[in-house]
Amino acid sequence: MKTYKHNMVFTGHKSFIILVLLGLITCLSGWSYINDSIETGPYQLVYPANFGNRINVPDDNQTTKQGVYLGRLLFYEKKLSANNTLSCASCHQQDKAFTDGKAFSEGVDHVLTTRNSMSLVNLLWARKFFWDGRAGSLEDQAITPMTNPHEMGQSLEISVKKISNTVTYPALFKLVYGDETITSDRICKAISQFERTLISCNSRYDQYLSNAYQPARQELNGMNLFMNGPNPEKGIRGANCAHCHGGAKTYKELFHNNGLDSIPKDAGIEALTGLAADRGRFKVPTLRNIALTAPYMHDGRFKTLNEVVDHYSDHLKESEALSTFLRGESNDIGGKTLHLRPEEKKDIIAFLDMLTDSTFINDPRFSDPNKIASKQKSKTNSK
Amino acid sequence: MKKYTFIIVALITFFISPYLTKAQAPAKEASVKVTGEVTSALDLKLADLQQFKQTEVTRKDRDGKDHIYSGVILSEILQKAGVTLGKDLRGENLTKFVQVTASDGYQVVFALAELDKDFTDRMIILADKIDGKPLLPADGPFRIIVQDEKKPARCIKQVTGIKVQFAK
Repeated sequence: MKTYKHNMVFTGHKSFIILVLLGLITCLSGWSYINDSIETGPYQLVYPANFGNRINVPDDNQTTKQGVYLGRLLFYEKKLSANNTLSCASCHQQDKAFTDGKAFSEGVDHVLTTRNSMSLVNLLWARKFFWDGRAGSLEDQAITPMTNPHEMGQSLEISVKKISNTVTYPALFKLVYGDETITSDRICKAISQFERTLISCNSRYDQYLSNAYQPARQELNGMNLFMNGPNPEKGIRGANCAHCHGGAKTYKELFHNNGLDSIPKDAGIEALTGLAADRGRFKVPTLRNIALTAPYMHDGRFKTLNEVVDHYSDHLKESEALSTFLRGESNDIGGKTLHLRPEEKKDIIAFLDMLTDSTFINDPRFSDPNKIASKQKSKTNSK
Repeated sequence: MKKYTFIIVALITFFISPYLTKAQAPAKEASVKVTGEVTSALDLKLADLQQFKQTEVTRKDRDGKDHIYSGVILSEILQKAGVTLGKDLRGENLTKFVQVTASDGYQVVFALAELDKDFTDRMIILADKIDGKPLLPADGPFRIIVQDEKKPARCIKQVTGIKVQFAK
């Protein structure tokens, strides 16, 4: 009886409930139409176990799907530059592992930067940013290229105004931060969220480490030289690259004077600390995708990996600040330089080529979203 | 007229000379910052280290030869900063560790109990001299020397920071 009664009540209000439901659906579909089909919720940062979990995500900027979506748009947004011609992606191009192929990059004022554009990869594990490590977070780092007159050259206040005066961005900021207010802090946070997703973990070296790739003989020889320090007394030949570039990520967050000059033009970290031991000392960059990120060094002085290997093998410049592990390392008994053989240099480069991750440079999640949109548009137009 | 010129030049020289010497000021002096779970943070320069009791530790360097390193026992520096050592090193304080950072970004850790003389006789010192001479610039001015440890990896060079932390 009771059941029947309930049914009666339900039937009595059925049409009203249906109306309410219809209304709700209409509202929801309208809302989701604004946001297109943007996924929301926590972003899963996926990486191999051998990368370790010493990751760097600030408590006040946890990675979300909607945050990464917004960050990617801003990363490719030219309105963030003074003359609407440059975005972060101008100097950090995906096909070049997020570098630009130049020694120095041209800013909105046509003046060149003073240091080489750095590869953006596996930043999730980095704690110090820039060639001199002066920024303690991606959020802090992002401010410099946006506001530097020789880079994107626009104050954050103007960027906020320009982004606020768009149709799409205010709704996106609401989706990410809960309200439509656009601030410089929120811009930097979203860009950083996107940058933390730039994870490269599918090079042939990664595949080798997970037993899914058998390196060729030359690659194996190169790998051994890369990993081992030279010990001529024991007949072990090596280049000791792994001392600074070792580990599954080929990145250790170290800062060294690698003997480029006896008297460096660019003082590096010394300019920040005033310490003589920091003279000509710079970040030891990741070697991931190194074959794609020429030219090399903080000033882009070496055009090829051959020149880089030649430098470490034969041309280190002595100075007081030259890091100790680069002194007197040799494959000859009593030798002063590594003195690698020509075929050994080729082997090392074969190993360095194993660090190229084509999945990473072709990953559609990291590409220019405007290009996809314009591609889709032209497709619809041609139809 | 000549007399006035002389006076003017002398005056100008007098006023700008401090700026000239400032421009040629010697580079800054390196120091070690002791921070974290301390009651008073320290910023030790070479001269400050001489105020502590000096201790010597002998160990082999990369050249395979024994060298005498001298400096200060790390726990004595930590004691001065008010770190929980000795009778206070118990309970949750046993989950503390010391993170040592070098100027090149290299970092190593020691459990606090590894440094306490009630736990071990092995000495870990913050050295500033090798065989009576200052450490080489690329090794110093401060280096941790761990007595009898087989690998030299924790004998961290160019130390700039010592931070005491709780394991979480």
